[in-house]
Amino acid sequence: MIHLSLSKISKEYSGTKVVQDFNLDIEKGEFVSFLGPSGCGKTTTLRMVAGFEVPTSGQIILDGVDITGQAPNQRNVGMIFQAYALFPNMTVSQNIGFGLRIRRESESAIKERVAEMLTLIRLEKHANKYPFQLSGGQQQRVALARALANRPKVLLLDEPLSALDAKIRVSLRTEIRSIQKKLGITAIFVTHDQEEALSISDRIVVMNEGNMEQVGTPFQIYNFPETEFVANFVGSLNTAIAEVTDPTKGFVSLDGVQFVSASKMEGCTKGDKVRLAIRPERFSFASEVKKANVVDTQIENITFLGSVVRVHIRIGNAKFIMDTFNYPSLELPQIGAMEQVTCSKEAVLVLSAVDK
Amino acid sequence: MKRSGLIWSWFWMILGILYFFLPLVATFLFSLHGKRGVLSFLAYQQLFNDQQFIKGFSYSVLWAILTIVVGILLLVPTAYLIRLRLPQVRTTVEFVTLLPFVIPPIVYVFGLVRSFSQPPFLIVDSPALLIAGYTVLSMPYMYRAVDTGLRAIDARTLTEAAQSLGAGWGTILFRVILPNIRVAILSGAFLSFAIVIGEFILASYLVKPAFAPYLAYLIQSKPYEPAAATIISFALTWACLGLIQLFGRGEQSQVAGGH
Repeated sequence: MIHLSLSKISKEYSGTKVVQDFNLDIEKGEFVSFLGPSGCGKTTTLRMVAGFEVPTSGQIILDGVDITGQAPNQRNVGMIFQAYALFPNMTVSQNIGFGLRIRRESESAIKERVAEMLTLIRLEKHANKYPFQLSGGQQQRVALARALANRPKVLLLDEPLSALDAKIRVSLRTEIRSIQKKLGITAIFVTHDQEEALSISDRIVVMNEGNMEQVGTPFQIYNFPETEFVANFVGSLNTAIAEVTDPTKGFVSLDGVQFVSASKMEGCTKGDKVRLAIRPERFSFASEVKKANVVDTQIENITFLGSVVRVHIRIGNAKFIMDTFNYPSLELPQIGAMEQVTCSKEAVLVLSAVDK
Repeated sequence: MKRSGLIWSWFWMILGILYFFLPLVATFLFSLHGKRGVLSFLAYQQLFNDQQFIKGFSYSVLWAILTIVVGILLLVPTAYLIRLRLPQVRTTVEFVTLLPFVIPPIVYVFGLVRSFSQPPFLIVDSPALLIAGYTVLSMPYMYRAVDTGLRAIDARTLTEAAQSLGAGWGTILFRVILPNIRVAILSGAFLSFAIVIGEFILASYLVKPAFAPYLAYLIQSKPYEPAAATIISFALTWACLGLIQLFGRGEQSQVAGGH
């Protein structure tokens, strides 16, 4: 059941298009992330849903009602900001109860709901503290409780974890996701952090220069990127220009080294130049298991990254990286040695044709 | 090296203190010589018994309060709107608010008299013109204090947070913004108060009773009372600064941690 629908949304500032023809249907209880670099239009789109920006064209339908022209305070959407935005003059309880007081709910109902929210965020003992007496993570949890106290139709999160340190960020994102699932609330999460988006979303919208590049589950986005931008932005990626040798069988040649790909090469003919992409972790040494592609490489460097060992290899004239899990019995080759590496044909992505 | 640096620091600090305080101490001591041969507060006593002093001082307090009210009503919404909706005009408005520092008060008062002494703006005799003039003079202090306060609380994000929770403009202004910039408004108000209490040119050329013109008259006619009045004026200004410090303490950390 479609809960929130963004239809042909565009936004222009003095002739510059920051969001173009954005179409998205979100189901009730779904957690959707807008992922993209700074200036890609993800926050602007979120702010249009919140009502802080008015779309230049298009329509926003929430729960069957057109809210495109509605004021932010009439939409009943909860918003969480990067800067927490707790009211400094109010205690934690007063912050959480603020929206309920605006709705003129009874004191007993407010008290009950505030207590419920404090339990939800596990800050019962901090009810009478002021925001400045809390840590960043605690403040953001209060902001979450405040946004949820009003029982909003949709929860909007604008980079809520960016101001927090790495450890808190991971634990809070898990907490946000578990609360969202528990309450079954529809949520839109804006982030530029791919790991964040991949770890908590039902679906991800990858955006670039105001356009939607791809919409899909984290699995689809990571494993089957549809554009070069998505492939590059989400995860690490080796790319090189190769020549199509047999488009029907999926054969391409990289400086004379033959690869077979499972990607459809519609419209490609023999001799076309295409951009080839392989994720570093899809390579393995051919001494273990041989897959569809087995190629000779020269080991150029080896970098230890903790749980992963990064091997820098050369295939033809292209420099690639290969990530392999670190385990105690791992036997690494010598730098400068020739080794065979292998990858499946699904791992070899043919992204786009290159201008001849 | 370290020790000599410390000595020089103390030297400059003491020199600075002497530069500021010696004239003040001298004025204070002089004001105590009202009675021949002994130190007394006679000059202060006579000052407080003088109806002209009470009148001038009371009027100055009244003008100051009215200036603060007008300043708050005019500049708080202006600064808030600029932060919220018109950030592109901030530089221009900041420049305008600094003009009272650049335009000499004498030029300004002649401009006021010339502009408002003929129809359709014949208000040169009205205290409203004096208040308007004082509001402009205190604008750099009030506007900057309020603007700094708004910046410290990230007024825009707080406004949006309140909006998303269903709040209307009245609630946002009176329950979210104003309580959080109370210290900034008070700072601006106390500074405006200090400016108006000591202002001479506007009051004198617009022929309105005030403390500074009375002080000028006193200097020409009496020996010790002007010194006493100067000390009172200083005490009042310092009390204002003290109150800014008092109200500002404690609130700063609350705001700083709040966003």
